[in-house]
Amino acid sequence: MGLRATAEADLAGILEDKTAGFGWDITITDPAGSPASLVGYSNDIGLSIDPDTGQAVSGRRASIALRISSLTAAGLGIPMGIVDSTSKPWVVTFDDINGTAHTFKVQESHPDRAIGMVTCLLELYDV
Amino acid sequence: MTIGTLIDKQDVFEITRDKIAVILATESASQQALATAAAKDPNLWKLRVYTERSNPWELFRDDPADVSPIVNVWFENSNFPKSKGNVVSRQEATATYNIDCYGYGVSADNPAGGHVPGDEQGAFEAQRAIRLTRNILMAAHYTYLDLRGTISGRWLRTVSMFQPQIDSRAVEQCVAGRLALDVALNEYAPQIDNDPTIDTLDYVSVDVKRAEDGQVVAEADFDYSP
Repeated sequence: MGLRATAEADLAGILEDKTAGFGWDITITDPAGSPASLVGYSNDIGLSIDPDTGQAVSGRRASIALRISSLTAAGLGIPMGIVDSTSKPWVVTFDDINGTAHTFKVQESHPDRAIGMVTCLLELYDV
Repeated sequence: MTIGTLIDKQDVFEITRDKIAVILATESASQQALATAAAKDPNLWKLRVYTERSNPWELFRDDPADVSPIVNVWFENSNFPKSKGNVVSRQEATATYNIDCYGYGVSADNPAGGHVPGDEQGAFEAQRAIRLTRNILMAAHYTYLDLRGTISGRWLRTVSMFQPQIDSRAVEQCVAGRLALDVALNEYAPQIDNDPTIDTLDYVSVDVKRAEDGQVVAEADFDYSP
């Protein structure tokens, strides 16, 4: 097995290991309404952003990282940001460390098809 | 010889900043009452007004139930041309105030189909606040910002929108816009006591009512249903 295939296989431990790694339960629903329960890497942190008013303000950034082969096995495509308001977006739900569920839509996605991982930047979504 | 009196007054630039905030808060409440009387949603005329806040946007996160635009009035600078005023008692200045309007949008599911994009909503909210603020401050009623004699005029110099930084995408869609308002005003300084050549001046002040979190509230009571 070449190094690239090895890297893709390593994603199982890097992203999807809930026991010894940072794997976390994530539910993702595609625009057609098909859900899938996956394990991946999730992030939801505060940060400082600059809205160009001369004063930095506090913001919040959330993201997930998923294995593309797991999405494919679940019957889903690669998530992406949906700007068309006539379409439903990709919806992502996961708990924070205290067990509170948060719902987001995919704002933009960065698939790395070389090693088989997709990173999605999220924004808040009211269902 | 030292100044014999305690400098215990606000400068006109401070008074003017507070006056701008009071005008916006009062007129926003009045507009909400008018909207209620016209059977329209008064929340579309609601502004939350603050002064000199460094992070007013934090309020969107503190109380997600209230997504009405936030307006922050802050003083940027004053220019004192030497040709205006005199070296003894009065100097005319042009003070610039930045009135930042923050709009907040969250993407939401649309039960009728599709979804409501948060970035568009945030921009529209900010521009609605800019619309209300500009119309209020440039109304004929406020040519001198209710401080005629102290203020000789005001002019809205620019209106600009700020696009969110792509590298700093946050989960919340917050869009800001700025109105830069120039105000021509007179500033005064302590005078030598009992100098008959100097006119006695009455100090002006603005009574600002604030909520516990510092939000400027309207001067009068208006009836409206939120």
